[in-house]
Amino acid sequence: MEGLIPRIAITSLGKTWQGRRGDVEALRDINLAIGPGEFVAVVGPSGCGKSTLLSVVAGFATPTSGKVLVDGLSVDGPSPERGVMFQDYALFPWRTVADNIGFGPLARGVKRAERLEITQRLVALVGLDGFQDRYPHELSGGMRQRCALARMLANDPAVWLMDEPLAALDPQTRIVMQDELLRIWGDERPADQRRAVLFVTHGIDEAVHLSDRVVVLARRPGRVRAVIEVDLPRPRSALRSSPEAARLVAEIWALIRDEAVDAIREENG
Amino acid sequence: MRRDRWIAITTVVCIVLLWQVAISANGLHAKVPSPLGIVAAIAAHVADGSLPSALRDSFLRVAKGFAIAALIGLPVGTAMGMTPILARAVAPFLDALRSIAPIAWIPIAVLWLGVRGDAAVFIVTYAAVLPLALSAHQAVRLIDQRLLQASHALGAGWFLTLRAVIIPGSIPVLITAVRVSMGFAWGAVIAAELAVGVKIGPGQGSQGIGQMMIETLYVRRDVDTLAMCMLCVGLVSLAIDAGARGLGRRLAPWKV
Repeated sequence: MEGLIPRIAITSLGKTWQGRRGDVEALRDINLAIGPGEFVAVVGPSGCGKSTLLSVVAGFATPTSGKVLVDGLSVDGPSPERGVMFQDYALFPWRTVADNIGFGPLARGVKRAERLEITQRLVALVGLDGFQDRYPHELSGGMRQRCALARMLANDPAVWLMDEPLAALDPQTRIVMQDELLRIWGDERPADQRRAVLFVTHGIDEAVHLSDRVVVLARRPGRVRAVIEVDLPRPRSALRSSPEAARLVAEIWALIRDEAVDAIREENG
Repeated sequence: MRRDRWIAITTVVCIVLLWQVAISANGLHAKVPSPLGIVAAIAAHVADGSLPSALRDSFLRVAKGFAIAALIGLPVGTAMGMTPILARAVAPFLDALRSIAPIAWIPIAVLWLGVRGDAAVFIVTYAAVLPLALSAHQAVRLIDQRLLQASHALGAGWFLTLRAVIIPGSIPVLITAVRVSMGFAWGAVIAAELAVGVKIGPGQGSQGIGQMMIETLYVRRDVDTLAMCMLCVGLVSLAIDAGARGLGRRLAPWKV
């Protein structure tokens, strides 16, 4: 990625949450640059602040120190330029699939005819044909996930911010959706036709399968522990169980294991 | 389910029969209503139009007072939910007001608005406005923060967020609030009419079902008609509740 202007530039980022029972330092001195078309996954044990990192880049939370630039501009709130996908999808329960997907264009003042066109194209892209008029509670988990992805894509955002978007799916659906996500992102296309992605996940194998780089965070406070290059060729769907991928998964797990065990021990009292 | 219903119906029929037999067997007539007497009273008051007209007057008063209460209470509560500073300023005041029962306002309402119908409308408005405002406030606070974040991240400004997220998100809580405060309002209108409707005579009092009860009590001393009024008050309550629930199903189809 050298020589390219990063899409997302995170410099000396620190975030401390102020709570009733004292302050919690969630992130300390995070430095990270994500280039155009780059897929970066963030992994780490519970409490490493990976969701906080995403919130700050999305503009839902303000940094305590340091800064976040997206396309050279300082982040000072949410923007349709930065698409967000939430862990539990956050679909609007009172809007149909089509109206959820069309919400972004509606918010940006896109005319009705064009909105319908965008919605129809995305419904087809994510494979929700025939379900446009359903409400989210009538959909399966995988279909809700597709709907949330389409809703994010409707604004054609320059960067995709994804907070454990596949975590709530059953294992088989998750594998299908990983490859769907890669297809839609442009795994089979040249790199300059892809968007920059910041993808937070619990799944190390998922991170390795999807991304160009894996950022490993340490916990309490969240710091960058290591950045692992994933130098596997694309498209990836055939490489699911390659020895190289398995080696990277083992390497990352070795970095996280001790802290993950600590985190579980703390959570159990 | 069907058997349960038959058991319930049989029980009610038995009680009513026993009740009628007991009244007929000894001469309690003047003080205790009898089922046949109530039926006769209903027939008489429906025939001369006085019962439908009294119910209509009371119901219109509730509708009017409730509409005013909703127009004030819902925007105030929603604004409180959207701007925490406003909530902190206004909430203690509303909580304090809530501790004053609606019927305690009747004398001052009569002083301000006279004994016609407006005092009763005022009482209804007062009874409904506080629960509506506080529920609307609560409803906004209960909306999933993620939905608000999603709305903003998709580019929505505050107005679209209000229209497309906050208002629909509030509806399930508000439906419950409407049911509860409609009940309060209906109770308050009866109380208000009872209290302000002491001027007797055509066109003099507040009309309405409460007025009818007062008139029956002081002029005609007809215990069956009093019981008929009570029965109607209860039936209207049930109807209001069923109506509000139906409205909820209509307005919030995503809540199965």
